[in-house]
Amino acid sequence: MSRRVAITAVSAITPIGYGQRDIVESLQQGVSGVKPLKDDGLLVSRIHSKVFGTVDYPIPFDFARRFRKTMGPVANYACQVAGDVLAASGLDQDFISSGRLGVAFGSTHGSPTVQRDIYRTFFQQLDSGFSSIGAVDYLRSMVHTTAVNITRMFHITGRVIATATACTTGSQAIGFGYEAIKFGLQDAMICGAADEYDTTTVAVFDNLLACSVAFNEHPEQTPRPFDKKRDGLVVGEGAGAVLLEDYASAKRRGAPILAEVLGFACTNNGGDMILPNLEGITATLQLALKNARLTPEEVDFISAHATATKMGDSIEAQAIAQVYGDRSPYVSGLKGYTGHTMGACGAIELICTLYMMQAGFLAPTLNLEEVDPRCAMIQHTPACMDADTRIAAIQNFAFGGVNTCLLIRKGTDAG
Amino acid sequence: MTREELQDRIIAILVQDFEFKDPAPDDHLRDVHGFDSIDAIELLAKIEKLLGFSLTREEKEQAMVIRTINDILDYIETMQQKRDLATP
Repeated sequence: MSRRVAITAVSAITPIGYGQRDIVESLQQGVSGVKPLKDDGLLVSRIHSKVFGTVDYPIPFDFARRFRKTMGPVANYACQVAGDVLAASGLDQDFISSGRLGVAFGSTHGSPTVQRDIYRTFFQQLDSGFSSIGAVDYLRSMVHTTAVNITRMFHITGRVIATATACTTGSQAIGFGYEAIKFGLQDAMICGAADEYDTTTVAVFDNLLACSVAFNEHPEQTPRPFDKKRDGLVVGEGAGAVLLEDYASAKRRGAPILAEVLGFACTNNGGDMILPNLEGITATLQLALKNARLTPEEVDFISAHATATKMGDSIEAQAIAQVYGDRSPYVSGLKGYTGHTMGACGAIELICTLYMMQAGFLAPTLNLEEVDPRCAMIQHTPACMDADTRIAAIQNFAFGGVNTCLLIRKGTDAG
Repeated sequence: MTREELQDRIIAILVQDFEFKDPAPDDHLRDVHGFDSIDAIELLAKIEKLLGFSLTREEKEQAMVIRTINDILDYIETMQQKRDLATP
């Protein structure tokens, strides 16, 4: 069995806004979501990077306590965007609980906020004699907390895929959800990822000298994907959810076809866990095109992973050039706007790409002022411009040597 | 602490931490207030703090038959009496 797969609803919480209107406005106006790193009373004084892609606006979470009690901040994000796509979908509860709808959702490592509280309790109150660690702290912090809080809240009974591959968590979730429908295992999947505000992740990348430190006084000027002055990534937070459906079923029920997932590739470099790998990335982009039965010439736009590290951006540009040749599609690194939203980035960047397709424009890489000669062999989106993008690639790469590429086509109801 | 005072403390916990609406002493905790096994574990941790001593695994398992607020009060009083008797 091989079925077409449609995207029929999306929702994202990002450092540049929540929902289509705010996000499109930020992309069109070149608004950065990077803000000063908030003091956590623990790590921040020791971290060199002082910037974070921050969700700094209130979100109207309205979850009953019976749900909240098993949710950390990351699950709040996840359930909010999952609830949005279900509400937009019009799917009835009989279908939602039929076992034909599944969930593919993840986060980098569950809820670090809750994990930190557990350790704080453990070390500070070790001798108190009382069990101060909450009974549900594991449920709130575990690595699959997003996926199963979604299933619990919406009574979803289909398969659960909880991806947890750092920066490819969201793109893998969408890719694996796509495959579950394509091969007839499920009729619909809620896919995506979330990550919450977390200074531990900043510390990890800071230790690896991978974080941006040169723009601490001007957070909006970093990260700078592909730019000559780029000096590293900026960790961020956020969430994205997409509803995937069997294309024919979605058409039959009159659901809006926002886009179609044409193909997906996921590979591993089979070696180094940190360094980007030209061969592995190139193979992934080629495999995705093959999976989607597309030629390079048919792709109009690439959402690059482009975290703004020196080596990562250069290797990605080389890989794009190898696969697409002289006629590179327009390429943008959307992390220039949001920072690196970690596990959520693949989902968020796919949704931003879809929003741009719908609104008929392409946003350039924010903060790309002077292209690094080592990244100059591709066609960077030169400015915010009108564009009728039909087919786009969303590329993401992760620690552990994981590479993904998703290919989507603008849908008939995408505006 | 009298039973009335204990009841006030427990009801305050149930209202504040478990978001009970208008709890009455004989309400069925699960049927009326949606109280589940996870809540029971959380409540036991709060009871330990209230009593000022840790409950044993066996004592905690005895709490799993609790169905009403009155049952909670009975349970706490029983645990308190056990400790009082054990104290020379």
